[in-house]
Amino acid sequence: ASFFNALFALFFMSFNQNTLLVVLSCICISVCVSGEVVSAGSPVFKTHVDPLYSLNLLTALNDYSDISQYCKDLLDLFGNQYVAYVNCLVPAARPVKVCQNCFVNFENLNKTYTNISSDEVGPAGEVCRDSLLRSDRLMLVFLLFSNLDGIWEKSNCKNCISSDSPSLTNDTLYFLAMLNQTYNCFDQYQQGNHTELCKNCKNTYRDLNILYSEMEKNYTMCIDIEDAMNVTRRRWSKTFNCSFPREENVPIIAVSSFMLFLPIIFYLSSFLHSEQKKRKLIQPKRVPQYSSLMNIQDKLS
Amino acid sequence: SQGLDYDNIENQLFLEEERRMSPMGFRCLEVSRWVVCGLIGFLTGLIACFIDIAVENLAGLKYEVIKRNIENFTETGGLSISLILWGGFNAAVVMLGSILVAFFEPIAGGSGIPQIKCYLNGVKIPRVVRLKTLVVKVFGVICSVVGGLAVGKEGPMIHSGAVVAAGVSQGRSTSLKRDFKMFEYFRRDTEKRDFVSAGAAAGVSAAFGAPVGGVLFSLEEGASFWNQMLTWRIFFASMISTFTLNFFLSIYHKKTGELSSPGLINFGRFESESVEYYLYEIPLFIAMGAIGGLLGALFNFLNYWITIFRIRYIHRPCLQVMEAMLVAAVTAAVSFTMIYFSNDCQPLAPENSEEYPLQLFCSDGEYNAMATAFFNTPERSVRSLFHNQPGSYNPLTLGLFTLTYFFLACWTYGLAVSAGVFIPSLLIGAAWGRLCGILLASVSPNASIWADPGKYALIGAAAQLGGIVRMTLSLTVIMVEATGNVTYGLPIMLVLMTAKIVGDYFIEGLYDIHIKLQSVPFLHWEAPATSHWLTAREVMSSPVTCLNRIEKVGTIVDTLSNTSTNHNGFPVVVESAGNDEPGKLCGLILRSQLIVLLKHKVFVELVRSRLTQRKLQLKDFRDAYPRFPPIQSIHVSQDERECMMDLTEFMNPTPYTVPQDTSLPRVFKLFRALGLRHLVVVDDENRVVGLVTRKDLARYHMGKHGLEELQLAQT
Repeated sequence: ASFFNALFALFFMSFNQNTLLVVLSCICISVCVSGEVVSAGSPVFKTHVDPLYSLNLLTALNDYSDISQYCKDLLDLFGNQYVAYVNCLVPAARPVKVCQNCFVNFENLNKTYTNISSDEVGPAGEVCRDSLLRSDRLMLVFLLFSNLDGIWEKSNCKNCISSDSPSLTNDTLYFLAMLNQTYNCFDQYQQGNHTELCKNCKNTYRDLNILYSEMEKNYTMCIDIEDAMNVTRRRWSKTFNCSFPREENVPIIAVSSFMLFLPIIFYLSSFLHSEQKKRKLIQPKRVPQYSSLMNIQDKLS
Repeated sequence: SQGLDYDNIENQLFLEEERRMSPMGFRCLEVSRWVVCGLIGFLTGLIACFIDIAVENLAGLKYEVIKRNIENFTETGGLSISLILWGGFNAAVVMLGSILVAFFEPIAGGSGIPQIKCYLNGVKIPRVVRLKTLVVKVFGVICSVVGGLAVGKEGPMIHSGAVVAAGVSQGRSTSLKRDFKMFEYFRRDTEKRDFVSAGAAAGVSAAFGAPVGGVLFSLEEGASFWNQMLTWRIFFASMISTFTLNFFLSIYHKKTGELSSPGLINFGRFESESVEYYLYEIPLFIAMGAIGGLLGALFNFLNYWITIFRIRYIHRPCLQVMEAMLVAAVTAAVSFTMIYFSNDCQPLAPENSEEYPLQLFCSDGEYNAMATAFFNTPERSVRSLFHNQPGSYNPLTLGLFTLTYFFLACWTYGLAVSAGVFIPSLLIGAAWGRLCGILLASVSPNASIWADPGKYALIGAAAQLGGIVRMTLSLTVIMVEATGNVTYGLPIMLVLMTAKIVGDYFIEGLYDIHIKLQSVPFLHWEAPATSHWLTAREVMSSPVTCLNRIEKVGTIVDTLSNTSTNHNGFPVVVESAGNDEPGKLCGLILRSQLIVLLKHKVFVELVRSRLTQRKLQLKDFRDAYPRFPPIQSIHVSQDERECMMDLTEFMNPTPYTVPQDTSLPRVFKLFRALGLRHLVVVDDENRVVGLVTRKDLARYHMGKHGLEELQLAQT
């Protein structure tokens, strides 16, 4: 609807006042005509003459297509690629691998959509953008694509895919290699004592962590990497319990209670040794008989 | 402390000057008032900007260093060294700030709001609006915030604004010995007071991004003398100050021209979903207001006793510096211990962007929630309490934090460092408010929908601040403006109202306590209740030192030199026949005027003998303002002592007088509304019988047993 409004606005801007009247009347006429069409068509359904007949009529109506074969082909292609991409996405949901597994599919889909939405004139002399994307209120094709595009945006996949040739970036590949190395280490020591694991895998894990924080700073991360790192960290800290232990309770308590003790000494010593400051009170100069409030209160009572 | 003369002295010099002035001159004056207000706003905004940037960078550096240190030692062991580093760093920085305050300008200590309240009330605490005070204040506040004390930089901002106003409006700096020969007309107490109230407003406005709040602050705290044009000018100053701060911060943040960022403290915007509140929450808000009032009263009560102890025993500057350092070290130690033993780990998420997340013993990818509250500048902690998602703090964390921070803040206020109490109060309140929100959500099944912890944190913050400082109107507007949210107007107002009522039942507001402890003759809005039976005769000081209209120079010098009385205003009387009879009143002259007269040797004999005598003008009085030389520095020879001085031209010929039977509230009203400094009490034949000053009125107050008389101490 907003698109049509925009069109009207364009009309209003480009025509001068005389043509504006013409345009307005045109709109009025078209509205009236369409009204007539509806009123003429409705008695057909009301009569219920023959269900078969009405079905035929429906198919006949459906058969009438306002789009060219070229656009229809494009639409079919779009549909196939859409299904392919979604099929790829769903199994990649957990653990998240939407970028590394499906970037080819998205690239294809994106290309097709770009074709559809370009203002190129097709062989039949028709612009598919107008017929496929903008001819109804629902704008289904646009809606479908924008959903998937939203997923792509939200997952930050762009950061992991090098733009010129659709492939994973070197950073991502390097990270995945490191991750693999860490997982191998985890697998190697998983049986038996976890302290062994903590000790032996510490270096690989720390390197991975450092790499991750660098990527975090450079904004070269996508959801795949984030999720992989989260899972790894959780395994490291929760499953294997390799976090730092709290081991210095005694020195901490000693130092802080020493610090807490200092002010007590300070206040005590200043209480005992410092000279108390006496306040000099200002005595009011009053008329003698009213010199104190006591007298006044006596007077009151 | 001394009084300020807000009453115009309509002597002959004044009348002459007014006659000489063209209508154009008056218009120029009006324009220059606006210019001065604009300048005040601009400079206050600049100062706020400077403080903000300095604190941000220095605190950032500090936390970065300590964070790295803690990270290293978490792995290898030796965290107690980090603790010592943190404590030592805090103590060192605070020591700098405290030395500045304790040795160079003690008046720059504290938040400065009590002092400005006094100034606007009509009492000048010496050196309160000097350039030196401003410099010490600004650097002191940077040191105390960077030093990790439980303080904020908002209160000092208000004081800074007031000093800027007092300086700019005079067009000169006595400290720097520079006179720009500008704004000479404004060199008197009345004009200066108006500008100082504009400066205070500009300070509030820069501190909280609340221009309207600033104007209302000046209205509520200070001015009893108000008019529409003045309000409008003050609003102008406030707006300019916010604008300047925004503009320069936008340049600093490399978004030049983006003017939407708010004041020094940015409470952040509340998202639209959490903004909602329902009718059934109002009783909850009111209950929280009552809790705020109770906690505020407890805070004030504890702080009152600490302050008394400090006045009595810790009055030497070196002791004050030591105390401040100890508080800084203990703050660090307590914070560190809390962080160390906290088990509250929260996942790092992009939306709660912690500036300095500490991991310590949490799993990788998580951070210590206690550290977001303690290991941060107090303002950032307030913001994260307001805006972090539900579930980013454990109830235990919040409870412990409230408890420790309450005592730390209470202990910190009143140290010899320049620091405000706004932010710590907000922080305490936000912590227990958030706790309330979390508890509500866990108690009732569907409360998790409406009991947004951020909303309750805001309400709690308002309640706590209201309970401590007892401001009402201006605080409501400041909170509304600082959060950019009018929706919470009603709840915040109700909360502040409740907090004030509950708190006032136990003890006065923090600022009033400190004003009283400084023995300032502060006049409240109204005379104490049930004081109508006290009359001027009982209140006034008597006998009064009077001067004759034509007085011997020796007498004047002796009167002024008398250190035991140190009077400031002298009724001028027509010579009386009898010596014991008091003379008939014909005017009032001030010490400052007499000193200027003596300095210029305006003696009757000299004027007669001199052929080309220059007539003394009002300008000569203004040039000496506000630091009139002491009487000791004026040399009067033995011969000159025998000369006579004619005061007719210079005295105020129509001072305010009251009959002896005038009631105390009536006298009080004159003082409060007109800003009087001296009120002469006369008998039915216009003979001087006494003199009422501020000190005579401020003694009386409503106590537990009815009207009581206080003892004021010399300061």
